[in-house]
Amino acid sequence: MPFFEQLAGNLVYGAILGSVYGLSTMGLSLIFGVLRIVNVGHGPFIMLGAFTAFWMFTLFGIAPVISISVALVLGLALGFVVFFAVIKRLINAPELSTLLATFAIGIFLEEVAKFIWGPDHRGYSWDIGSIDLSITLIPYSKILAFISSIVIAYLLYMWFQKTKLGAAVRAVVEDSEGAAACGINVGRIYALSFAIGIGLTVASGVLVTLFVPVGINPYMGHEYTLKAFVIAVLGGLASPWGAFYAGFIFGLIENGSYTLLGTIPGVEPFSLTRFVAFSLLLVILLIKPTGLLGGESK
Amino acid sequence: MRIAKFGLLLALIVGLAFLGCAQQEQPKATPTPTPAATPEEKIPDKILIGGTLSLTGKYSKEGQMSLWGIQAAIKWVNDVHGGVNVGGKKVKLEFKYYDDESKKEAVQSLVERLITSDNAMFLLAPYSSGLTLAGAPIADKHKVLYMSHGGASDRIFEQGYAYVVQTLSPASEYMAPFLDMVKAVDPSAKKVAMVYEDSEFSKAVFAGARKHAEELGFEIVLEKTYPKNPTDLTPLLSEVKAASPDIIIGGGHFADGQLLASQMADLKLDAKAISILVAPALPKFYEALGTKAEGICAPGQWEVGVTYGPEAAKKSGIDYFGPSQDEFLNLFHEFAGKDTMPSYHAAEAAAAILAYAKAIEEANSLDTDKIRNTMNDLRFMTFFGEWKIDPATGKQIGHKMVIFQWQGGEKKIIWPPSAANAEPYYPIPTWDEKAAGKLAKK
Repeated sequence: MPFFEQLAGNLVYGAILGSVYGLSTMGLSLIFGVLRIVNVGHGPFIMLGAFTAFWMFTLFGIAPVISISVALVLGLALGFVVFFAVIKRLINAPELSTLLATFAIGIFLEEVAKFIWGPDHRGYSWDIGSIDLSITLIPYSKILAFISSIVIAYLLYMWFQKTKLGAAVRAVVEDSEGAAACGINVGRIYALSFAIGIGLTVASGVLVTLFVPVGINPYMGHEYTLKAFVIAVLGGLASPWGAFYAGFIFGLIENGSYTLLGTIPGVEPFSLTRFVAFSLLLVILLIKPTGLLGGESK
Repeated sequence: MRIAKFGLLLALIVGLAFLGCAQQEQPKATPTPTPAATPEEKIPDKILIGGTLSLTGKYSKEGQMSLWGIQAAIKWVNDVHGGVNVGGKKVKLEFKYYDDESKKEAVQSLVERLITSDNAMFLLAPYSSGLTLAGAPIADKHKVLYMSHGGASDRIFEQGYAYVVQTLSPASEYMAPFLDMVKAVDPSAKKVAMVYEDSEFSKAVFAGARKHAEELGFEIVLEKTYPKNPTDLTPLLSEVKAASPDIIIGGGHFADGQLLASQMADLKLDAKAISILVAPALPKFYEALGTKAEGICAPGQWEVGVTYGPEAAKKSGIDYFGPSQDEFLNLFHEFAGKDTMPSYHAAEAAAAILAYAKAIEEANSLDTDKIRNTMNDLRFMTFFGEWKIDPATGKQIGHKMVIFQWQGGEKKIIWPPSAANAEPYYPIPTWDEKAAGKLAKK
């Protein structure tokens, strides 16, 4: 049955894409959950991760999977720098100030990237073969992106649940004043959470290139910013785990709806997949305004 | 009484609506130039060609290239050819231009100025369809010839302008030579799949491609579009794979073209020939994809290395006019410097100047209508390729797009045969063969 084969194939790809979406949104949700700051400049950090993978591979021949850890460390460092340079002053500032500041950081990063690397669309070719699932072919690089994404999300979960620092972060999310009264240095938790959020986002940029190793350019983050916001809202905005699951769902719907829409005569399925994904978002928010996992795992 | 009033009002509204409709339906302007030219036409000492060029703004790169091309062509006409032969005199060309800053408003006022205050006798349009379209009504209103050398959109020539003519191939012709090539190399290839971006330019290109494919007897097994800036095309490409086409054509802009090729490789979506708009024509395409780019084709207006020349013209049984490619390169370097190679923008702008010179000589007159009339029957070749317009619309129908193919890491021109510097590699290596290191090179 070609229809079911295609649907199954698209769902497999949707799940992989969804895992990348999920990880790329976790950072956004974490930062919002802890600091109550919406990072509008989210996409450019993904772009930095993509360029990290590109340059590590092109200059040193380092496999993109290894670049994930490099990007994570770079992202953490960059996160601390941005936090202490800009975000620290905005913790209790009006929302508009934080929106403008994070927007400006995003533009700054894009323009610096364009200045240094130029506006070209770059790409790399890391061929490690592919697996034939008979319904579809999947390059191993994409499977690695899928596994890495799940491993990172799981490690982060364990860190939150099993370590003291993780517990401190959860305490600050629950009640920052209470946490401070218990002797938790709230400022440090803010810095750490922001840095982890940025680190995750930059690392997800590497996964994006594992999924699509071309089109790496300074402005590539825009598409992902928009989707990340939708996914974050779907997942309950302040919940990184919600974001991860929501990413999966978004990826499955985006790719799965293609095959279903294709059965309607006279319809260009691709022009409607985003419409379907966003309509579903509306429906979910109507039924459950806190998002799919909102209010549970905050 | 009230009903009568209401009826009157209704009649008025309906009447007005009809009037409105009637006004919209203007009679289509057809080029019916007055054939009469005075026997003793006074020939001036110089022929002034005017034009706006985008020397700043988003088209500054293309605008600068056009300028160098124009300067090189004028130098050839004046110094090598000795001037334009008209009325027994050799008349020199002069080019007057303004920077339109890549803005439509500027194009309109500058075209007006070139006609009314500078008394330009002929006009060159600026680069891009949008800017060309902006200046066209002004030139047409003043009945001054306006030649497009960078506006590919078919829409420019569907407005009924009588004095607007084109030198480059229109969008609808972009994929035609590729299909011709496949037909010539492999008459058994039947099934064509088209996947392209949902944008005005690519829609025009693929509407033309569909028509041409059907004329050639191809069967379109799948035609699908995708929205701008896609991040994943696998669902679409899986569907293409299921249709198992012989030929795949598609694309839109650079990024999605790159994505198409990359994900075709992921899915091992093999075809005997693949042609993608825009992306493969740029070196960055090969840099990003490596050997995956092997064998992939793209259409282009022109490229250094095409073999249009007096011999090719002779083979086609038409006149050759203008510098050879090498002569053009030398002249171009005089203006642009030794290290700059001309892009197709320079070549098509130069060809527009040569077309004016040739048309004036053929008409043996400087009368606009007479020249426009002569252009209807004019067919000749320059280093840019053939020049022949559709008499009714002014659209270019002689010039053919050249087809590039990546062969062994080099971009070769494979079609049309009169321009080619390499043989088409057909069928292209499969993705598995490419992964094993096979190149599209004999």
